[in-house]
Amino acid sequence: MRRIRLLMLGALVALLTAAGCGGGSSNSSSGPQPSSKIDKTPVTIVLWDMWSGREAQPFKDALKRFQVKYPWITIKEEVQPNGNTDTFDPNLVNAINGGNPPDVAMPFGPDYVGQYCAGGLWEDLSPFMKADGLSINDFAPAAITYTNVSGKQCALPSLTDAFGLYYNKDMFAKAGISSPPKTMDELMADAKKLTVRNPDGSIKVAGFVPLDNWEQLGPGDLANAWGAKWFDSSGKPQFAEDPGWASAFMWQRQLIDWYGYDNITKFYAANTNNEFNPSNAFENGKVAMMFDGEWRTAFIADDKHPPLNYDTAPFPAGPGHPEQYGPARVGGTIVGIPKGAKHPEQAWLLVKFLASDTTYLVQMANTVNNVPTTPASQSSPDLKLPPQFTTFLHVWANPKSSFAPPTTPSGNGYGNLVDNFDGQWQAGKISDADLHSALVKLDQQVANELAQGSGP
Amino acid sequence: MLLFLSPWLFGFVVFTAGPMLLSLYYSFTHYDLISSPRWIGLDNYRYMFGRLTLNGQPNQGDPYFWTSVRNTFWIILVGLPLRIIFAMATAMLLTRPKRGVNGYRTLFFMPSMAPTVGASLVFVYLFNPVTGPINQFLGHLGISGPLWFFDPTWAKPALVVLGLWGIGDAIVLYLAGLLNVPRDLYEAISIEGANAWQRFRYVTFPMLTPVVFFTLIIGIIDGFQYFDQAYVSATTTGNGVGDPQNSLLFYSVWLYEQAFTYFHMGYASAMAWILFVATMVLTAILLLTSRRWVHYGGGLS
Repeated sequence: MRRIRLLMLGALVALLTAAGCGGGSSNSSSGPQPSSKIDKTPVTIVLWDMWSGREAQPFKDALKRFQVKYPWITIKEEVQPNGNTDTFDPNLVNAINGGNPPDVAMPFGPDYVGQYCAGGLWEDLSPFMKADGLSINDFAPAAITYTNVSGKQCALPSLTDAFGLYYNKDMFAKAGISSPPKTMDELMADAKKLTVRNPDGSIKVAGFVPLDNWEQLGPGDLANAWGAKWFDSSGKPQFAEDPGWASAFMWQRQLIDWYGYDNITKFYAANTNNEFNPSNAFENGKVAMMFDGEWRTAFIADDKHPPLNYDTAPFPAGPGHPEQYGPARVGGTIVGIPKGAKHPEQAWLLVKFLASDTTYLVQMANTVNNVPTTPASQSSPDLKLPPQFTTFLHVWANPKSSFAPPTTPSGNGYGNLVDNFDGQWQAGKISDADLHSALVKLDQQVANELAQGSGP
Repeated sequence: MLLFLSPWLFGFVVFTAGPMLLSLYYSFTHYDLISSPRWIGLDNYRYMFGRLTLNGQPNQGDPYFWTSVRNTFWIILVGLPLRIIFAMATAMLLTRPKRGVNGYRTLFFMPSMAPTVGASLVFVYLFNPVTGPINQFLGHLGISGPLWFFDPTWAKPALVVLGLWGIGDAIVLYLAGLLNVPRDLYEAISIEGANAWQRFRYVTFPMLTPVVFFTLIIGIIDGFQYFDQAYVSATTTGNGVGDPQNSLLFYSVWLYEQAFTYFHMGYASAMAWILFVATMVLTAILLLTSRRWVHYGGGLS
């Protein structure tokens, strides 16, 4: 009897060891199981995310639903310091290389998704998605532009940002403008009409601030109005080849010149640090129109500021490009499973929850006002968003919306080169006559940078 | 003996020598933190100096390497002499007062106790072209102040002012040096009928040269590693790293960007090695020339 018991104990130990050590590999060789057949041994999985400040508690609350659905899985949430975008991804890469990554990673932006997918740093989710009957086409056409690189679906969107034009309705009425601008020419004319100057010539109210880095505006957003392409199909930069870029830069210069570069830079300097606090220039009637993300609707509702009568619209389109009225830049939080995650099967359950659970998405959309990313969550009757939010639902659903600067296998850090170029350009360091040759040079710089990124 | 040394030895091998050798190896590889390093010989160095051919295509190389070198030399050539002159002059003034000496000394030392990041944030606020008190004060005098951190011409000078504000550590060194100058030297030169300038030229300055030499070498090394102030001020103005218009793109800032924004770890390692070699060469030159002008009172030379 005693012997038998010992034998059984031995067998049990052997079984446990096999399950503990070899579990991952034996599972992956047989392919992921559909979620319903998953093993229910209690387990703790680690989640890295960036929800901090006023968004921390709503996220914790929304996560509770996961615990109810999967009571045997405990989530250990590790919020990366200050939700700092500069350190989240490098820290994550180090953790992955060090062999101790979280089971699920949830950065606020997809800027490193190129490296994650192409470099195999995040697991390809396709087998999991196939097993659960989930497809990237279940989201929106734009989703694929920032979750799939080199054919690898290594991330899924979980709420997103979308960008459009905010405008102050009272200022519009006062200036006799009846509807938001639909073309860039109208935007320029309205911006001039809405601008109010102080007696000394400095700017009291700016109609529209066309500077790079003003709130969320980048050169790519202006160029998008002309449908400008970043790369051709072979991956060659198109800054000089696609006339949309030159048109956008010329538009930018024309409006800057009208303000005077010093004037508009002073205005920028006085207001730029208030982007995310209640003194925000738009919320306080210091700018009449601005390019911004959907989250501003929540800030406007929460912040203490004078009453603001505002609305939103798609960003205007360049003359001759009516098809560009509607599509804009999108892209936000992504979720995925880092390579070397200890519990990939359970991690997938969390990824799937964060990406596609309608109740979760609706609850988060209602509390932090980000765009819900699935059609089911977008049409949910529980969605309680201000009427101004509709613009952003449409931008996300627009088939021509996409993430920018586009991801490449070596990332999208090259976007800094374009920003640098715009910094020189808007300060008048490059003349109109030299624009084309400067853009040819920019093409080369970006191509060199990407070549250096991918190496020989 | 080795046992007593072992804590230091362990630290040196693991935290200094090891990483240094590793980075030397990385500098000859293509390494993006993601895939394992791939040997590419001198290509990173060729990319740095724009002499690279990559996959059969001529590659003009790093667009901002020389910009970052120029900015770094600017801050050293302008900032460091000013720093030495101001520290020496302030220290000489601080030897004068008869009463409340310690109060003044504490006052001048205090700024150097402020953390660099905090100080940089405050300076960005002070120098804001519209809301900052400096331009508002200038405005009352009828002067339209410059755009400071928003203008490539004025951004570096603003950082020089920040550097001069925090020279307390150097002041303390000069003060110690000044108080060590033997009285009898001054008595001797006074008997010879020397005026104030001659006293400084032939007694004070020669006796201070070891301190000048020390602050010069430390200043050059610090200058090559100039990072915090530039990074913080460029990012808190709401612009990008290196802005306005790359005027604050210093060598270390660009190195950091290459490593952690672009993930070009191999290239960043190459940049780090060039920095290391440049620092060593400059320090060696200073050491060699020091015999001609540094006067050690102890009588070693």
